[in-house]
Amino acid sequence: MVQYNFKKITKVPTGKDFVDIVLSRTQRQTPTVVHKGYAINRIRQFYMRKVKFTQTNFHEKLSTIIEDFPRLDDIHPFYGDLLHVLYNKDHYKLALGQINTARNLIGKIAKDYVKLLKYGDSLYRCKALKVAALGRMCTVTKRIGPSLAYLDQIRQHMARLPSIDPNTRTILICGYPNVGKSSFINKITRADVDVQPYAFTTKSLFVGHTDYKYLRYQVIDTPGILDRPFEDRNIIEMCSITALAHLRAAVLFFLDISGSCGYTIAQQSALFHSIKSLFMNKPLIIVCNKTDLQSLAGISEDDKKLVEEMRSEALKTLIGQGGEPREGAEVLLTMSTLTEEGVIAVKNAACERLLDQRVEIKMKSKKINECLNRFHVAVPKPRDQKERPVCIPQAVLEAKAKEAAAKESKKLERDLEEENGGAGVYSASLKKHYLLADDEWKEDNMPEILDGHNVYDFVDPDILQRLEELEKEEGLLQEVGEEDEEMDVEDLTPQQQKELAEIRKKKSLLIREHRIKKSTAESRPIVPRKFDKDKRFTSERMGRQLSSLGLDPSKAIERARSKSRGRKRERSSNGDMDVDDGGSNKKMRARSLSMAESRSRSRPPTNVLVPGEGYKDSAQKIKAYKLGRNSVFKRNKDAKKGEGDRVIPNLKPKHLYSGKRSNGKTTRR
Amino acid sequence: MRLEKCWFCSSTVYPGHGIQFVRNDAKIFRFCRSKCHKNFKMKRNPRKVKWTKAYRRLHGKDMTQDATFEFERKRNRPERYDRNLTENTLKAIKTIDKVRSRREETHHKNRMKGKAAKERKEARKEHDQQIHMLVAPGAQDKHLSATKVTVKVQHESNDENRMEE
Repeated sequence: MVQYNFKKITKVPTGKDFVDIVLSRTQRQTPTVVHKGYAINRIRQFYMRKVKFTQTNFHEKLSTIIEDFPRLDDIHPFYGDLLHVLYNKDHYKLALGQINTARNLIGKIAKDYVKLLKYGDSLYRCKALKVAALGRMCTVTKRIGPSLAYLDQIRQHMARLPSIDPNTRTILICGYPNVGKSSFINKITRADVDVQPYAFTTKSLFVGHTDYKYLRYQVIDTPGILDRPFEDRNIIEMCSITALAHLRAAVLFFLDISGSCGYTIAQQSALFHSIKSLFMNKPLIIVCNKTDLQSLAGISEDDKKLVEEMRSEALKTLIGQGGEPREGAEVLLTMSTLTEEGVIAVKNAACERLLDQRVEIKMKSKKINECLNRFHVAVPKPRDQKERPVCIPQAVLEAKAKEAAAKESKKLERDLEEENGGAGVYSASLKKHYLLADDEWKEDNMPEILDGHNVYDFVDPDILQRLEELEKEEGLLQEVGEEDEEMDVEDLTPQQQKELAEIRKKKSLLIREHRIKKSTAESRPIVPRKFDKDKRFTSERMGRQLSSLGLDPSKAIERARSKSRGRKRERSSNGDMDVDDGGSNKKMRARSLSMAESRSRSRPPTNVLVPGEGYKDSAQKIKAYKLGRNSVFKRNKDAKKGEGDRVIPNLKPKHLYSGKRSNGKTTRR
Repeated sequence: MRLEKCWFCSSTVYPGHGIQFVRNDAKIFRFCRSKCHKNFKMKRNPRKVKWTKAYRRLHGKDMTQDATFEFERKRNRPERYDRNLTENTLKAIKTIDKVRSRREETHHKNRMKGKAAKERKEARKEHDQQIHMLVAPGAQDKHLSATKVTVKVQHESNDENRMEE
């Protein structure tokens, strides 16, 4: 069975694109280099090849187009009519015809020019001929541009047509607009057709599939049909008429008995009678929809008469099928798609009727005789006339009865949920079916964490027993571990403790001093002790330290003094040389004066050399002072803490990175 | 909800804290805070990092083997809920905690047992040996010998001198 799938048609390029495609192919796939010095045959061959190549390309592509598009006479009349309804058969054929003529024309052009090329005598002439040939072919193609565009539109639309198999079991739904056809198809199949209150919501055919007795049925939803003369119908209605006319399907004629579609029952029955010719040989069921708004029994007398007329018409079709109306065969059914009552019944009735009809037709055809041989139902021959009824033990019967009763009275979780407020409000108690030793514990919340421990890690059936053992152990341990510590070494007396504290303090002081000395050793000048600036090695200091240790320092101080100031004392004691005295006195006076001055300022002036600092002479000292100041000056201006401070507090200061210039560009900052 | 142990320092990770790292071999490492996480990323061995429980246990600073640790064990098969059992478990947890803390105290005390005596010995030694920082050894001797002993020289020596002249 051919699948009517129009999605495989290749895309039809526009005129311009077509020309571009073919010409670029020619350029790429044929040799491009030719010189006028070549042999004339070679030149001719070169250009002939190009012309022929272009012609074959055009021919190929146009042929694919012509072959891909279906011929309306060769396909199933349903599709033929449908395509005619949608795209006008004549236009379609014309377009394809134009393409065919173009193809032939191009062939002719190529033939002519190839003939001419055989007699081209120079490169220029051959080239001109080739240019002319290709140019004419392209003009032809450009002329069929509109047809190509039209065919592409058709192709796109055809690809979106629903894939309806005209030969399989089909159910067709028809009726006035807004009667509920699309809602019905939404209910029985997985199709998702738009349902809206305005008429002609469904504008084309929609297909859904449903199952019945392990067979697949196509359900086709049609746009609504209005009661108009045949010629006045628009394209949308013609779609449904086509479907009705050509598909061998069961027809469900929908009737809105409430009138909420905007049309009375009279109008709808008028429509029915006008299209009843289309229902020939098709199982017909009249479906009264929207019974939730208006029941069938409650309509007026006139309407009831009309409905009866329709019913009798429908019965005629039933009889026409060649079978007596069986019990249960209905032609008039009621349902409501909103409340879903009767929907399944309608579907089952339609499927059943269709199936019966198809089976009958199959039986009547010749093929069935071949099949008939294949199956044979074997029935056992009765031995005697004894009756052997079915025997079911009493217990089984009772159990079945109980089960049936329980099923009726079983309350589902879903019902419970609905009762208690619906899905968002009620949350099912999952603990309901727990199997515990005591049912009171079902709603217990067990703590998971206690004091930084996971409770689950401690849970143990014999935890009590183990706890008892532990406590016993603990009791034992506590009795044992009550020993006092022995005192073999006595504590120090308070006086001794004080002394120890002092010792430790002095030691720590020494260590600290040593650490400082060690770290600054490189930057300190090594100066002999007699020039020490800080006066750390004076005799008074020595005296103090010695006396604090408990020794008598006087002798040591005397000895130190005698050794240090010996010479000076001698000089001052000699009074013989006056001149020297004066000089030395002068020197002494000068020194003592400057010392007095400096003492009053408590620091020697910067250019005076103090022996303890380690400078060679005052010039060196001045230079060192200046160097130090220079380096510090710049750093202080930048507010740096010291020479190691490389911190940039603001890496991208806004005033440097933003702003426009009043003149000029800001391409770099 | 479970309280987990930090892989690095072995402290409990409460819900909402810390980071969990899953390695390509599907081993899960949980960390209580970024300190442990960063140490782990530096590939430090917790057994060598002083403040972790692993170090302390390894070097005997904290109690390692004890009956109280057997009570807390991760069980993979859940027990059927029993209210009495749960009540008992909750009470048991508290007593087990008390017992454990008591035992840890005794462990610590045992560890520190000889410390006071040792300290006293050292203090005495230091005092005896370093007393020279406060009192010079000579002064101490003087201090000790409070009274001067004067030995009178006899006249016979004078006579001998005269004789030599």
